[in-house]
Amino acid sequence: MSNGKALVYNQEKCTGCRSCVVGCSLYHDGECGKVVSRVAVVRNERFGESFVVGCDMCTDAPCAAVCPTGACVMDTVAGITKINANKCIGCKECAMACPFGVINMHYKTGKAFKCDLCEGRDAGPVCADWCPSGAITYTSPNIAFKAKRRVKLMERLEAAKAGEEG
Amino acid sequence: MYGWAGQRLRVDLSTGTITKEPLTYEYRRKWMGGRGFNSDVIYNEVPANLDPFDPKARVCFGVGPVSGTAAPSTGRVTVTCKSPLTGGFGDSNMGGHWGAELKYAGYDQIVVQGRAKHPVYIWIDDDKVEIRDARHLWGKFPREADQMIKEELGDEDIHIVLIGPAGENMVRFACTFNDVWRAAGRTGHGGVIGSKNLKGIAVRGSGTVKIANPKAMMDVCNRLRQAFKPDPMKIGLYEFGSLCLINVANRDGWFPWRNFQGGAHPLANNMSGETHAKTVLKHREGCFACPICCGRFTHIKEGKWAGEEFGGPEYEHAVPTGPRVGILEDANDIWHNARLTNDYGMDGIETGGVISAAMEWYEKGLITTKETGGLELEWGNAEVVDKLIPMIATRKGFGAILAEGADRASDKLGLGDKGHYYTLTTRGMTLPGDDPRGLGFGYGLSFAMGTRGGCDHLRSLCCLELSGALYPGLNTRILGDERPNKPVTTVGKPYMVYYEENQKATTDCLQVCCFTTHWCYTVLTPDQVEYLNAVTGLDFTEEEFQEIGERVYNLERAYWARQMSGAREDVVPERFTTEPMPQGVDYQTNVGVVFPLSEMLKKYYKYREYEPGTGFPGERKLKQLGLDYVAKDLAPLRSKYLSESEKKKKKYYY
Repeated sequence: MSNGKALVYNQEKCTGCRSCVVGCSLYHDGECGKVVSRVAVVRNERFGESFVVGCDMCTDAPCAAVCPTGACVMDTVAGITKINANKCIGCKECAMACPFGVINMHYKTGKAFKCDLCEGRDAGPVCADWCPSGAITYTSPNIAFKAKRRVKLMERLEAAKAGEEG
Repeated sequence: MYGWAGQRLRVDLSTGTITKEPLTYEYRRKWMGGRGFNSDVIYNEVPANLDPFDPKARVCFGVGPVSGTAAPSTGRVTVTCKSPLTGGFGDSNMGGHWGAELKYAGYDQIVVQGRAKHPVYIWIDDDKVEIRDARHLWGKFPREADQMIKEELGDEDIHIVLIGPAGENMVRFACTFNDVWRAAGRTGHGGVIGSKNLKGIAVRGSGTVKIANPKAMMDVCNRLRQAFKPDPMKIGLYEFGSLCLINVANRDGWFPWRNFQGGAHPLANNMSGETHAKTVLKHREGCFACPICCGRFTHIKEGKWAGEEFGGPEYEHAVPTGPRVGILEDANDIWHNARLTNDYGMDGIETGGVISAAMEWYEKGLITTKETGGLELEWGNAEVVDKLIPMIATRKGFGAILAEGADRASDKLGLGDKGHYYTLTTRGMTLPGDDPRGLGFGYGLSFAMGTRGGCDHLRSLCCLELSGALYPGLNTRILGDERPNKPVTTVGKPYMVYYEENQKATTDCLQVCCFTTHWCYTVLTPDQVEYLNAVTGLDFTEEEFQEIGERVYNLERAYWARQMSGAREDVVPERFTTEPMPQGVDYQTNVGVVFPLSEMLKKYYKYREYEPGTGFPGERKLKQLGLDYVAKDLAPLRSKYLSESEKKKKKYYY
């Protein structure tokens, strides 16, 4: 990965607001809607749960592996798996292979489309840029995991301390 | 078409007829969307003498031109009908994701009329609309019915509007929900929906909203979303929900203690957003496309109600069945009551309003356990409130009387003027949990003048008067005068209320959340015009933006005038104008304040061009706004309103 950055999703923080969804669809398609968004939000309203699901840019990308035409390929230098619409035949294999269900077929073209980390956008991917709760961040995964390590450790220490006091 | 879907869906439940009506360019430009479309339909199709529960009555759900787009907070829906609580014009709006889904399905508005033979729900799957059996859903809480419909239709990602048992039982202040918890609380349309044997409306939209100028839209949305990040109000609302207002309300003396007998209490922090976040907050929730995310999800961990879960509460939902009825010791009782009003599907404000009025009647000896069926309505009696909420929703015992709303209940019990003194309503609707003696004199004026049954905090939402500390210079920027930036002053307030009522009306027509425009003040009129034009490709100006709001506002006021409500009803409960604010805590800032309504009214009337005698919208203004037909409707009513026989009538509701 050239800049070492990736989209990191923190489900605990997702409020389900879909700011990412509207931003993504507007940036890429010039219209707003869930059906043209590359990132999705799954909500369980009854239990107050929300989850954001986007492309994780897998190192061994199943979508690229199954693509029969070479339309879906990983740029190993940039660390981005992209779909070349000109080569895509709309067979849906990549969408079926994606373990997260974040590849969709475009309602206008019938071709597959997916996250490209908003290539060319100075402020980085719009989903992370617009996320109001910090559920999506565009950062080095290792830095994110390091921070998580510390937070989780502190939580455990706090809990142990509270247990002793209690 | 850009922005709008350009289509109204009309469902007649008596005949099962489903029609789609085009909304012309002229119509859209005149009424803009959501609240404007709804108000127009209600004015034209629901006459003054029609019973709100009559099958011929309408209930409208409206979204606006920017609904479903990337502008901040575009998920709101306005629900409008002739209110069974007040008998006059009634609307209310809710957040959630249903509004955006409706737009994606290709509709700007739904009008429901008639009455189904048995309980039904409406299923809108893009173009396909059907009326389906809901007999098995009748009596269910929204959280249960939501899941059952999703399973039945085989799609967990759809969005559903629902009423609860209170709506089915036509409680006069039942409300409507979408996404289970997001309520359009006020004015009682839940009962109207219930009277039509309609349980809910499920929507799946697989379309998009077309944007005329995507680049301009991206630019303005980028700018606004960055601006929200450091905004102090955004941070407060995100961290603590609207409960972040509790400690502020207590300091400034607008915390509704015991039916507004007081304005502050030493234990207020028990239910503050800060305490809530530390003790019972399970998750933060966001409505569609929201950069703020003030929604809460609560999980009670300790005590009698341990294990209970629900979406919410927010400030106005928590205080009425909490401090307003004297419950403050154990916040879990407050969260529990909020859970109850949610599940049964009742307006929390009105529920707390009627119970607190009943408690004050009980305290003052106007009623005894004989009338209440043995219930000891003492302040803070959480056990009784827990019993009473389901009794109201199911119209059992004393609950059946309270289910009529505070003023009707007072009359049913024969309490006369004394009873009405403690109902704290105007035009039949209870005041929300904001005391104008502390929150501000602009708010108080707005309570007297609001077009949805008198008192309401959301008609002008003049937070400009609270903004002095957070946003210095803002009043100058918007009103051209910095002096009105303090709550307890009358300076500049009539103009502030006039301006903000118009501004807020158009904001409601766009169906964007007023927390982006009136609490955070991150999105101002020029920004709204900018994204509106980017979405629609049209050439709206700030002047036209304000004019649309003024048109909607005058139409709603005319709805009241048509049923003989005018200047004589422009009042607030006497408690605020006669009883000086007592001291509740030593740091309270407004001890001794009374609310001076009359000195502001005259100036406000001038800005509005209301007629001094009747208070009806003036003919010149109506014509200027393109409402000649309204002027014609009102012309013969002016002398009637001023007649001696009308003057003698005491009108608490219509």
